Amino acid sequence: MKRLPELRLRVIDFCFPAESDTWLAILRIGLGLQVVLYALSLRDDWNYFLAGTGHTLISRNLGEAILSLESYFVPRLGWLVTLGARIGFREETVLRLAWICLLSSGCALLMGIASRFSAILAWFLHLCAAKSAGFVSYGVDNFMTIGLFYLMLSPLPDRYSLDRRLRKSRANDPQLLAFWRRILQFHLCIIYFFSGLTKCLGPGWWDGSNVWRALIRPPFNIIDPEILVRWKYLFPVAGIFICLLEIGYPFFIWNSQTRKIWLICICAMHLGIGITMGMYLFAFVMIVLNVAAFGSRLSRMECCTTSLQPRKAVS
Amino acid sequence: MALSKRRVYLAGLALQLFLIITVSSRDTFWLLSESRTIFPESSKNYWQRAEQIASTALGQRLPVTNPARQILTGYLDLAGIEAGYGFFAPNVPNSYKLVFELRFPDGRVGRTQSEALRQTIVGMLADAVWREHSDATTIRAIFGSVMLPSAPEFEHGKRESYEFLYAYDFSVSDKSTEQSAP
Repeated sequence: MKRLPELRLRVIDFCFPAESDTWLAILRIGLGLQVVLYALSLRDDWNYFLAGTGHTLISRNLGEAILSLESYFVPRLGWLVTLGARIGFREETVLRLAWICLLSSGCALLMGIASRFSAILAWFLHLCAAKSAGFVSYGVDNFMTIGLFYLMLSPLPDRYSLDRRLRKSRANDPQLLAFWRRILQFHLCIIYFFSGLTKCLGPGWWDGSNVWRALIRPPFNIIDPEILVRWKYLFPVAGIFICLLEIGYPFFIWNSQTRKIWLICICAMHLGIGITMGMYLFAFVMIVLNVAAFGSRLSRMECCTTSLQPRKAVS
Repeated sequence: MALSKRRVYLAGLALQLFLIITVSSRDTFWLLSESRTIFPESSKNYWQRAEQIASTALGQRLPVTNPARQILTGYLDLAGIEAGYGFFAPNVPNSYKLVFELRFPDGRVGRTQSEALRQTIVGMLADAVWREHSDATTIRAIFGSVMLPSAPEFEHGKRESYEFLYAYDFSVSDKSTEQSAP
C-alpha cells in the first residue's frame, strides 16, 4: 500500500517531465507543410469532389447524410455552405474559400503566424473535407486529423514561430509541453502495436506473400512486377521485419539505446512505402509524427533537459 | 504546475488512451472474426463476442439517436480515433478494377483505368473520365475483381487476371446509364 503513492508520483513525473518545445516546432512545421501539400494535391478536384449535387452521381450531400447517421457533431462542409447561403454566397464560392483558408492555414502554420488559430482552422477545415468526402478519404486523413488535433491543443506558439519572435511572449510551461508530447508518443505506440499485431496474425506476412501483393496491387503498383520478382527472396524477410518493427515499437522506442535505430527503421519503412507504393502524403505525415514524438529527443540538448527518471513532484 | 491540475490532465490522458485502445481492440477482434488468421476457425465466436464487448464500451450498441452515443462518436471523429490501425492486415485483399472504354466519333476505341470499391462510385468516376475526353460519345465502365498472382506464379508466366462483374454504359446525349451483369 505504501508503494501506491510512490507509483502515482512516478506516473505523474513520467507524464510531466521538463521538456523543450522543439518537438512542437517539428510538429507544427511538418503538419503545416502536410496541409499545404494536401490542399495543393486537391486544387483541381476540390469543388468537383465536394459539390453538394450536380457534377457527380455521388454527392457531398450523400456522404454527409451517412455521416449524420453516425453523429450530428462531426464537422462537415455542409455547415459552411449553409452558413454561406444565408449571407448570399454560392456553394462554389464557399468551397473555394474553404480551400483557400485551408491552404492559408497550412502556410501560417509553416511560418508560425497565429499558430493556435491556424492549427484550429487547419484541423477544422481538413476534418470538414475528409468527412464530407468520406467515400474518397483514406488513412492519411486519419493521421492528419490526429496530428492537427494534438497540435491545436498543445501549448502554442513554440520558440521558432514568428508569433514568439514578433510578440516576445513568454515561454510555455515545460511540463505541459512534455504532457502533450507524451500523449502523441503513447498514441503512436498504440498505433504501431495494433498495426503489427494484426499483421502478425495473417500468415501472408510471415511468408512474404503480403509484401508482394501489396506492391503489385493496383493502384500501388508503381514498380514493374518484372523487376520486383527478382527480389522475391527478400519478401519473407521484409514481411517479418515489418511485423517485428511495428509490434516492437512500443517496447524499443522508449529505451535510449534502441530508440535511434527503431526510429530510423520506422522512418525508412514509411519512406519505402511512399516511394514504392506512391503514398507520398501518407509517408510524410507518419514521418512527421514520429520525428516530432521521438526524434527531437535524439539531440544532445534534448537529452540534457529531459529524463525518464522520477524526480521530486512540484505542487 | 499544480498537482490538482496535473490530475485533471492525467484523467484526460487516461480517457483518451482508453478510447484509442478500445477502438483498436474492437477493430482487431472484428478482423479476427472475419478474416483468415493463424487462429482456428472455431475461435471466431469468441472474437465476435469480444468485438461486441468493445462496441458496447464505445456506446455503439446504443440506439443511433442516443445522445451519449452521438457525443462519443462525435468525439472519436474529432480526434481522428474512430478507426483501428490494421492496414493491409491480416492479409492484403484482392482489389477491384474499373476499366473505362472510350468510343470516339471516328471509330477509335481508347481505354483508361481507375479503381472503385463501390458500384455507386462508378458514375462519379465516369464523369471524371468524361471531363478529360469530352469528345467521346459513349463510355463503357467495366467493373471486375483483380486476381493477383503469387511471385512463383508470376515467374511461370501467370499475370494479373480480371474477373468480370458488371459493365455500365454511359451515353453523352443524356448521361443515362445502362447496367449489365455477367
